[in-house]
Amino acid sequence: MRIALDQGLKDLHAEVLILGSMVEKAIQRSVEALRSRDASLARRIIEEDVQINELRFRTEEHALLLIATQQPLVHDLWAVAAILNIITDLERMGDHAEGIATISLMIGDEQLMKPLIDVPRMADKATDMLRRALQAFADHDSAVARRVAAEDDEVDALYNQVYRELLTFMLQDPRTIQQATLLLWAAHNIERIGDRVTNICERVVFTETGHMGHMFKNAPTP
Amino acid sequence: MVTNPIEKELTKPVVAPTPPKVATVAAATDVGTRNVAIKVENFSLFYGSFRAIADVQMDIREREITAIIGPSGCGKSTLLRSINRMNDLIPGVHTEGNIVLNTQSVYGDNTDTVLLRKRIGMVFQRPNPFPMSIFDNVAYGPKLHGMRDHKKLSEIVQRSLEQAALWDEVKDKMKQSGLSLSGGQQQRLCIARTIAVQPEVILMDEPASALDPISTLKVEDLMRELRASYTIVIVTHNMQQAARVSDMTAFMLGNTNLEDRSGRLVEYSPTSEIFTQPKDKRTEEYITGRFG
Repeated sequence: MRIALDQGLKDLHAEVLILGSMVEKAIQRSVEALRSRDASLARRIIEEDVQINELRFRTEEHALLLIATQQPLVHDLWAVAAILNIITDLERMGDHAEGIATISLMIGDEQLMKPLIDVPRMADKATDMLRRALQAFADHDSAVARRVAAEDDEVDALYNQVYRELLTFMLQDPRTIQQATLLLWAAHNIERIGDRVTNICERVVFTETGHMGHMFKNAPTP
Repeated sequence: MVTNPIEKELTKPVVAPTPPKVATVAAATDVGTRNVAIKVENFSLFYGSFRAIADVQMDIREREITAIIGPSGCGKSTLLRSINRMNDLIPGVHTEGNIVLNTQSVYGDNTDTVLLRKRIGMVFQRPNPFPMSIFDNVAYGPKLHGMRDHKKLSEIVQRSLEQAALWDEVKDKMKQSGLSLSGGQQQRLCIARTIAVQPEVILMDEPASALDPISTLKVEDLMRELRASYTIVIVTHNMQQAARVSDMTAFMLGNTNLEDRSGRLVEYSPTSEIFTQPKDKRTEEYITGRFG
């Protein structure tokens, strides 16, 4: 029963997963562009963010259409409400990736003050969390979602490490302030991505239980 | 030994998940364009001197579900019944304009209404099985049109009941009276009876308004399946039902002018648009329950 509603929900799930994989790729590539000083890759990420935004709006439209025509209730309604939130978080993560690409272009031809190690680690951790959060969303698995959310502490710990390290550079040599600030922004973008993954995890739990609430407090940023 | 969880994570290969096929996304938005099955051309209908519906113009596409909605007395049932000339049975009725089924004029002088109603079947508000066996209810139409071969009749009955999603529930009691079934089953029996003569179009006048919510959803799912083979036009008071099942929605409204209370077609759009972005203010007011 409810063939049209079930199909509509399935299509929405598929759209969220496609959006998620686009965002995941954008994050990985933005850090790669920053690390390898690849300006053309950075420009491509900025251009391709338009596609992420478009898919987000299209998915939102489909979700509203499903509400208007199929009257989802209880679990079905929770799922549509969760999807509306998740796509907003995903789209904003895409903006963070675009932000990192912009920073990469701002650093320009300058050589990096040090090889990037912890920033790519943060990105790997955050994209891994994102991938598993989306898998939990696809599997309706709130236990996995809770575990993934808890791992945001690791992203925050790395961020603090990056912060302290860059601060040391700046204190030692004020000429590094310009670039160190930009790199700190890049790290901050990834830290925010981690926070948004926990938002997605919260929505996965909501889809299962109907209970809203923070599973996790976003760590104070320095 | 304490292993660094980050190191552990870093040793994992980074593999992007396979995104689902994009085709499923395209299917959700694909509206498609189909041929027109029924053309309603500047159609008006009068009960004596009272014009019940005025100047309705609409193209109904084949193998789609077209819903007609509107408040009581707006003429939606009258319009539906005009499509297979059920209104002919009411004294004092006359019409202007025309309705065309594919290329045949419904209101032409030479139209055989018996053959017309074979091509355009109808399902009514209250399930109305004949007081005869389940088998005979479904075989009735084909028999009326001259089918005598029992084997072929059995095939038609089974196929029709299968299409109406009723076969599994009644296959062991074909000789029982159609009236012994539940309301929802009776309505699906009536749908089986309608499709037994292989019509091109099925008209449904409030087909689920006398049914409980579960039976209603069953009939709605059935409509979505029948849509693959038939053009369906449904009149419903239940806007949610129109939203759930139909591809196109027509909103009709009686004129509030006391001189002329004729029902008119206010808006006719894809269902996806009419329930999210109606063009006419009156449509929005009606579907949001603010009047009507």
